[in-house]
Amino acid sequence: MSWWPFRSQTKKQDFVEEYLRLFEKPIPGIRRISQLEFVVLDTETTGLDPKNDFVISFGGIKIQGLKIRIETAQEWYPESPKEATHSAEIHGLLERENQLKAEEFSQNLLAYFGSAILVGHHLKFDLEMLQKLCLDFGLKNFSNRTIDTLELAVRLEHGPHVNWQGIPMRDYSLDALCDRYQITPDDRHTAGGDAFLTAQLFLKLLKLAERKGITTYEHLFR
Amino acid sequence: MPVWQKKPQNILYPFLMSNVIINRVAEFLRRHPPFSFLEEGDLLRIAQSVEISYLAKGEVLFRKGEPANPHFFILKEGQILLQEEGQIREYCDVGDLFGVLALLGKRPYVLDALAGENSLIYAVPVEEFEKLLEKNPKVSLYFAAGFAAGQVVFRTDLGQGQKAREVFGRKEQDHSLLIFSGQSTIQISKNVLTCKPSDSVQEAAYWMDQQQVSSIVICDESKFPIGILTDKDLRSKVLAKGLSTSLPVSEIMSSPVITKKPESDFAELYLSMIKNRLHHLVLTEDGTDQSPVCGILSDHDVLLSMGNSPAVIIHALINARSNEEMGQIRDRAEEMLRYYLENEVAMDFVAAVMTEINDVIIQRAIEEGKKLLIPKFPEVGSIPFAFLSMGSEGREEQLLRTDQDNALVYGEVPESLQEKARAYFQELGTYVVETLLACGFASCPGEIMASNSKWVLPISSWKAQFSEWILHPSPEALMKSSIFFDFRVVAGTRSLGDELTSHIFDEIKKKPIFLNFLAQNALQNPPPLGFFRNFLVEKSGEHRDQFDIKARAMLPLTDLARLLILYHGIPGINNTFKRFEKLSELEPNYRDLFIQAAKAYEILMRMRALEGLQERNSGRFIAPEKLGKIQRNLLKNSFSPIQELQEIVQVRFQLDYFRS
Repeated sequence: MSWWPFRSQTKKQDFVEEYLRLFEKPIPGIRRISQLEFVVLDTETTGLDPKNDFVISFGGIKIQGLKIRIETAQEWYPESPKEATHSAEIHGLLERENQLKAEEFSQNLLAYFGSAILVGHHLKFDLEMLQKLCLDFGLKNFSNRTIDTLELAVRLEHGPHVNWQGIPMRDYSLDALCDRYQITPDDRHTAGGDAFLTAQLFLKLLKLAERKGITTYEHLFR
Repeated sequence: MPVWQKKPQNILYPFLMSNVIINRVAEFLRRHPPFSFLEEGDLLRIAQSVEISYLAKGEVLFRKGEPANPHFFILKEGQILLQEEGQIREYCDVGDLFGVLALLGKRPYVLDALAGENSLIYAVPVEEFEKLLEKNPKVSLYFAAGFAAGQVVFRTDLGQGQKAREVFGRKEQDHSLLIFSGQSTIQISKNVLTCKPSDSVQEAAYWMDQQQVSSIVICDESKFPIGILTDKDLRSKVLAKGLSTSLPVSEIMSSPVITKKPESDFAELYLSMIKNRLHHLVLTEDGTDQSPVCGILSDHDVLLSMGNSPAVIIHALINARSNEEMGQIRDRAEEMLRYYLENEVAMDFVAAVMTEINDVIIQRAIEEGKKLLIPKFPEVGSIPFAFLSMGSEGREEQLLRTDQDNALVYGEVPESLQEKARAYFQELGTYVVETLLACGFASCPGEIMASNSKWVLPISSWKAQFSEWILHPSPEALMKSSIFFDFRVVAGTRSLGDELTSHIFDEIKKKPIFLNFLAQNALQNPPPLGFFRNFLVEKSGEHRDQFDIKARAMLPLTDLARLLILYHGIPGINNTFKRFEKLSELEPNYRDLFIQAAKAYEILMRMRALEGLQERNSGRFIAPEKLGKIQRNLLKNSFSPIQELQEIVQVRFQLDYFRS
């Protein structure tokens, strides 16, 4: 082992290089939303501290052609870092057989993401946790565009120039939004279940967006 | 082309990877037929292939005339309207399947589909489903039931006898719908072969042969249908009688013709064919014979479109060679019944079909019995008679083969022949009863059957019997009335039945107090719910803690319907829910209540029959705790009209005063 802690680890693995190459060509702004691919995701973690907690499970599902495609549904369980094994065992979540080594998980994840737009509720946190897993293979940041369903919901309900101070955040929890958009909160608090709920929410929000004239890639990220 | 299709797919999705999302989708599908018939593996594969889309209210999913999308749709939430020229034809509710028939028939959509509310729609690719149709006969039968209910009309023209027979010959092993495997789009024949009334039989036969069709419609100058000539007519009316083929067709055609509109729904077309024993149904522009012919539907068309269908079953019964064979066919009818019930096919259709099937068995038995017995009783063989079905079969609502209740009435005979007639008709009645037993109908514990000499009587004795019941309404007489008053002529001379009916109405008019007794009898069964809205279950015996759906819920309704229909003096309507429907017209101030009662009765019939099919018994006793919550509430709600009706009857027949 080298005395310099970052040298070998930060070298980009081939699959990371491959992933990054997907972003060399930008998506044209006028592309219709119906032509975009979205990966809606959620993670379960041991806690809320990105420094010390880690991902127990990942759930994702894709939206293509404005359709949630069930065959793309994925659930993965990355192996935990050794030093944290103890706390995770308390949760009883590590007895799964289909656990993936960090490298395999990262490889699957990046291939799954591709250049799709990533969607999630409180997405920033999930991506931070996932990115930590990929860091070891030379990925500093995900290059995908992202949409947080929480922000999208606020924007659609209150307009683009909303004063965030005045928004009661409890009205924009996943539970509250599911309630408001009539989505049955099944399988709540599993990564796959929450990803599926978020996907349904996102589909409904996109419909609302369409009514407000948001129909293209550039509208969506304006 | 969408971007994701251009991109190389670098992940292979595991073929049958189950996860929480797929399971969730499967969970929803599982609750709705036909997915409820699937095995776990098949269900998961279907679930995995689902694509979910969301339509805002007013958005269009597909339009009439568009080629079928390679998916069909299940409504997850919201409401879809199927429309034609802005007129709503069907509503789809949660769990409903739609867009199926266009897809399987490989033809464009016949209706517009648009969202009546914001709707979440699950789409299943057709390839996945075709695999199941081939593999799973239950799934294809599910569609057969929907088809029979006239959900979407599939029409076919086969006319060509040969082709039809080939397919028909395969019916024994074929439980699936041929329509699903056939490649051709199926349509009503629009090119109807016609001729003038003055054309000769020979010419007509020549044209039929040229066109390879089994019928020709005889029309006047304006193309209005006057008559129809079929293969069978040529055989039995011309050749067998040795008539000349140079006769004009007008001499031998069947006339007038029964006609329908081509837009009529399938159930209606089909029922009119079954009821009138038509092999060909002529369609005219406005549905009467005073408008031009525009199509023809043959029974082969119908047979081909269905495997285990009423038409196939009735046809098979008519051609059965033994009682055993009829019994087997009747078993098959029960399978069909089960699919109808499970798939919520309209109860009036189900009851009409099952009644027709039961009637055919009786009619066949009468014919066979006569053939057998007339050589033994040549002097009395021509005396008119009528075979009467009573009780539930009389009311056209016997779905399961529960107790048979029947009797026989015959015309007046001279003194000298009385003994012979009595012996003949009792043997004939016995023959029918035995046939019914062989076909799986239970025998009547009270011996109210046409094999019992007490109930095989000349009309004068029947009249005397009814008069006696009406004049002296003892408890026993009232019990008997509830069975006998629902009689219906199933075979033989209908006018004997009519004569008896008018006698009964006359007698009641003379002694209206009889209705008060009947009313009192109808109130004997208290409403079936206890004070705390619990089911009143049996307190002891074999059926302890079970709910007697027949005695506590159905019997009060049949009694009330009979009473009120007699009160209004309306003959000829036997069916309990049809009686309530009629009452809703007669008494508009109670319209809603009567309609509710009709609905309730349909629900009870369905529940009882399903229970009976499941438990292989009469379905009479239901364990309330075995029912799901929805079923339990459905059942409880169906009781509410009973109490209200009982109160109305109480007042109308002044029973409080009457009792004291």
